Amino acid sequence: MNILRYLTLILMFTAGMVFALGMADTRAEGDPDVDAPLAPLGPVPEPLDNKITDAKAELGKLLYFDPKLSGDASLACSDCHAPKQGWGFSDPICRGYPGAVHWRNCQTVVNSGFLGKLFWQGNAKSLEKQAKTAATGGVSGNGEADVMEQRLRQTPVYVEMFKQVFGTERPILNDAWQAIATFERAQLTQYDTPLDRYLEGEVGALSPLAVQGLELFTGKANCIECHNGAMLTDEKYYNLGVPRPFEWEENGLNTITFRFELYAKGSHEKYYRDFKDDPGLYFTTKRPSDMGKFRTPPLRYVLFTAPYMHAGQFYTLEEVVDFYNEGGGDNDMTAYAGSKTPILKPLNLSDEEKEALVAFLEELSGEEIVMATPKVPPYEAVPDIEGMSQAEAKRIGLEFHLSATAEN
Amino acid sequence: MKKHYSSSFTGRLAALLLLAGGLLVPGLFAAPAAAEKFPAIGPLAEREAPKAALVEMGKRLFFDQRISGDGAIACATCHDPAKGFGDGVALSKAYPGTKHFRNAPTLINSLFKSGFSDTGWGWSGHMGSNMNDVVRDQITETMIMNMDMRIMHERMKQDPVYVAMCQENFGGECSSGKARKALVAFVESLVSIDAPFDTGNLSAHAQRGRELFEGKAGCISCHNGAYFSDGEPHNTGVPENMEIFKDPMRHLTYRSVIHTHGVPKMGVWRRDVGYFEVSKNYGDVGKFVTPTLRELNYTGPYMHNGMFATLAEVVEFYDQGGGQDDPLAAELQPLGLTIEERANLVEFLESLSSVTPVTVEPLKVPQAYKPIENWLEVTN
Repeated sequence: MNILRYLTLILMFTAGMVFALGMADTRAEGDPDVDAPLAPLGPVPEPLDNKITDAKAELGKLLYFDPKLSGDASLACSDCHAPKQGWGFSDPICRGYPGAVHWRNCQTVVNSGFLGKLFWQGNAKSLEKQAKTAATGGVSGNGEADVMEQRLRQTPVYVEMFKQVFGTERPILNDAWQAIATFERAQLTQYDTPLDRYLEGEVGALSPLAVQGLELFTGKANCIECHNGAMLTDEKYYNLGVPRPFEWEENGLNTITFRFELYAKGSHEKYYRDFKDDPGLYFTTKRPSDMGKFRTPPLRYVLFTAPYMHAGQFYTLEEVVDFYNEGGGDNDMTAYAGSKTPILKPLNLSDEEKEALVAFLEELSGEEIVMATPKVPPYEAVPDIEGMSQAEAKRIGLEFHLSATAEN
Repeated sequence: MKKHYSSSFTGRLAALLLLAGGLLVPGLFAAPAAAEKFPAIGPLAEREAPKAALVEMGKRLFFDQRISGDGAIACATCHDPAKGFGDGVALSKAYPGTKHFRNAPTLINSLFKSGFSDTGWGWSGHMGSNMNDVVRDQITETMIMNMDMRIMHERMKQDPVYVAMCQENFGGECSSGKARKALVAFVESLVSIDAPFDTGNLSAHAQRGRELFEGKAGCISCHNGAYFSDGEPHNTGVPENMEIFKDPMRHLTYRSVIHTHGVPKMGVWRRDVGYFEVSKNYGDVGKFVTPTLRELNYTGPYMHNGMFATLAEVVEFYDQGGGQDDPLAAELQPLGLTIEERANLVEFLESLSSVTPVTVEPLKVPQAYKPIENWLEVTN
């Protein structure tokens, strides 16, 4: 390709980009980015390599409730993402593995199929990866792949179900994460909320107070700056100055986990020594300007997912609104790295306005998703191999040895 | 399979010379011939006792459940000082959510196990070949302690007792390396005290047992040296403990371990593959590393899978030439021992145990963690 043609192409591409951005950009002055409008939740994205089927979702449901997928077979996904606790966990900081405690708040699984960045640090890019990371992390599932896989293979119900769903002779652990993700997409997605109905044209779907809250949300309170799009999150990272959780200072078990994370996630020794607060996104990027930043959480289902923020610092939505009304807060990272987002400013909301905002937030959730805990299938012994006598089994592979000896 | 070619060559040379001598003077060398081929049995070497303060630190770690992932088990759970630092059952307990498929061996005299064999430790030789490595293996193995050592050292740093112990013994803060050194020191402090064999107080029966051990019964061909082990894997045809396959938790634990070690056809085996786990040589299926014979009085049941409850059973097993197995090495032949000889052999084996049990008073380590005062002001 000659240089002229190449340059022409680049010029055309650049012009196109400028045009496209110009068309879509309806930003107010000083607005750092384009805010996607609120929208009804469309169909859940279906990964090309993990199609949703009923059988796969049913298998995933069993696995979600099965403690076999953890270190000591005592902890299921559903223990930290509990149906009756908003499919999250109602302690500020998640319970974590027995003998330990987690260090961040457990987020709801509801609608998580729409997210491209899982965990507060956004360090898993799919539900499949999230499930695997949670099951193996030292203070979460603490499971080891070989043992977990063999637990599945020792369970005839699973052997049969995996064969049906994935066509494998024996369960493969990676397929378990696929099935769990499918269950979450297929059965823990909530389309039918007052907000969705309102956005689809059902005028009375939101209460009048909530409609007022919606106006504040998209206007004076400017929540829409980060909580936008169908999931009410831009999936970007910000430091709001949410205060340090008291647990790290006041509870020895929490202190241990806090230090472990500083150590294990690979910070500079200086930070390991000095930090008393969570540097968040910094662990991923190692950029000091990212210290204290966390991925904007979605707001759907928040009625059931208290407490709020990355370490459950706030118990009620009222507290959250108060926090933003004051223009956010200060924490170690805003002080150390100057990383507090400039988006936050005092909002000067009246009590009525705060009430309206909370009403709107509460109507982002539909009915509580309830589900009976399924009975998980048991292990079964397989002392004998079908069609093979014990004596034959004893000789497995030995013929190789005998013939090798004969040749020598 | 790795071998000490130099030593086995010397062994063969010695055997040839002895054989030649035996031909020249029939009968004269016949009895001691077996004994002289192998490192002599005898009292354990003198050793410098590990530093008391370090042993104390190791002892605290040894009894501390917080050294396991979920805080449920301590080293002492399976290496119980009241049971000869084994756990007194055929197949060991292991980490919650798993069950072990082999017998928990004694830790007593492990000091003397180090550095004389290039086969690793553990019944199948699958672990490191020095105690520090083995301690690390056991703490981090999924079916043993399932502990992330980074969490372990943070737990220690939260306990003022460990903080002081690390400072006293090493200077500086706690680390997993310091924990391992302390545990090694504690295990090295567990040494036979006053076994009649060592103190020279063998009964007449035991003395005759010793002659059989070194001679007619040929035990010394594997159980040799002061530690009574050649540290090498052998197949004696011990019957399979089918509990491994009848108990689904044991079976899945077994498969998971051999899978980790890359054993082919892991779902098919209905026997413990033993040293094959390491060598992948089919001739090594069913081989297990020779255990020590010291402190047997406290460490039953016996064998890698605890299949024999008493020493009398063990001796009878060898008297019959070991068990039946397809690739059974021709090492074992029926011994033709009389009832009296078998009894003498048992009495000799019993003389290898300390009269005063090698044990320690169990330590109850408080499990709660306290906050660190002025945490915000001090460095982590």
